[in-house]
Amino acid sequence: MNRYLKLVHMEVDRFKYILAGLMSLTLICQFGAVIWWTKSAVSNRESGAWNNGGSMAYSLNPSHNGNLSFTEVISNTQFLFMIPILISIGVLAIYVFLIWYRDWFGRNTFIYRLLTLPIARRHIYFAKLTAILLFIFGLVSFQLALIPVEKLIFNLIVPSDMRDPSYISNSIYANPALGMLIPWHFDSFLVYYVIGIIAVLVIFAAILIERSYGRLGILYAILYLGISAFLLLFPMVGLGLDNLNGYLYPNEIFAIELVMCVAVMAVSVWLGCRLISKKITV
Amino acid sequence: MIEVVDIHKRYRGRSVLNGASFTVEKGQITCLIGINGAGKSTILKAIMGLTPLKSGTIRIDGQPMDKNLYESIAFIPDHLTMPPGMKLSEGLRFMQDFYQSWNANRAEELMKFFSLDQTERIGNLSRGTAAKFNLVLGLAQDTEYVLMDEPFSGIDMFSRGLIAEVFSSHLIEDRGVLLTTHEIGEVEHLIDRALLMKDGAICRDFQCEQIRSEEGKSIVDVMREVYQA
Repeated sequence: MNRYLKLVHMEVDRFKYILAGLMSLTLICQFGAVIWWTKSAVSNRESGAWNNGGSMAYSLNPSHNGNLSFTEVISNTQFLFMIPILISIGVLAIYVFLIWYRDWFGRNTFIYRLLTLPIARRHIYFAKLTAILLFIFGLVSFQLALIPVEKLIFNLIVPSDMRDPSYISNSIYANPALGMLIPWHFDSFLVYYVIGIIAVLVIFAAILIERSYGRLGILYAILYLGISAFLLLFPMVGLGLDNLNGYLYPNEIFAIELVMCVAVMAVSVWLGCRLISKKITV
Repeated sequence: MIEVVDIHKRYRGRSVLNGASFTVEKGQITCLIGINGAGKSTILKAIMGLTPLKSGTIRIDGQPMDKNLYESIAFIPDHLTMPPGMKLSEGLRFMQDFYQSWNANRAEELMKFFSLDQTERIGNLSRGTAAKFNLVLGLAQDTEYVLMDEPFSGIDMFSRGLIAEVFSSHLIEDRGVLLTTHEIGEVEHLIDRALLMKDGAICRDFQCEQIRSEEGKSIVDVMREVYQA
């Protein structure tokens, strides 16, 4: 356990600068967006430009009283709020592959050392998985922590008589990327993140298949990805989870989907651990 | 003793190992000799469990390879296997964290012997310096056996001298050493036993001193007989 934690620490340490970069990018883009938009909106109102139809919120909602709300800031700065989130998702998606391949390629192939550590090799697998999950939830937590600070900045810039109250939860859903990152319902949160974790597990298994069987491994890995995707999508697409006229009840289709998810997860973890212990080659 | 019995391996449709069998004794320096692509490095990787075999068995002191045996067998590959972003001091710390067999005093001694700077980043090391640090990582473990893959490959004359010095020091004494090379001239005077590989198997296995005194032949002479026949 102790050595597993050391491996997790090492994996986090190797990604720390990229993680800090993503966090800084999110902070700069979102703080910048809040400050820039809020200041210009306040100055518009103070100069009377708002009365001439200068506000998008006013044109969308004629009953608008001219006051500013934090939700309005987020709905008017979609791009700057969304771009760091999308970049972070993209970087993490690439790193799911790099966390393995960086140990094989380059001048110093660290995988030799990792595989000859006096520990069960499944610790290497779980340490990499844990690190990816820590990066995902670390960035989500950071985003969650930023929103109240952004609201505070908004409150500091906008005079109280020009401010409309707003709930943070409403503000989150003013941006589709934020809404997907932090869903309204807990069951949606579970569904999104469990699907994400299954995707990571399937990709890990595919990478280890490719690393274990050489050139033929590429074919096997693609086949594994295809079969997993089919098993996960078939109950929804083939049996029609939303189709009320289908042969099976929606509850039955949901149960089949659940079984498929658990089966794909279990097989991916078992396969990953088995390949890294018995079949992997450097 | 490391026992390698009738190991077979295919790679990309080619038979790389074709029934190789030999043993490595403690207290001896055994050299696996063969031309490029003969399968020398593959044997070392197979002993370390870094590549699966088609058939055959490998035992270390009678036991099949297991995670605990990594405490009693060190592997020094032909390149440094630590992340380039690490400092040398962090590399030493990593080894200390994971290996109970790690001997910090010996590591210190070796770092001084090779005049290595602990604050240097691994990615900035020259090939020769990287090879020296690689030796530190392998030899600072209190292991029964040491496997070395081409320890002299691409290293300048002065560094080779230093590395050769290690072979005749207390750092190697009493351990079973298995090294591979295709530059036999560098190690001929250091090794006790030679294993010549041809077509994926061991074709000659001899004690170097014995063949020198009884037949008046050097290892290179025997290699000529085998590879130019």
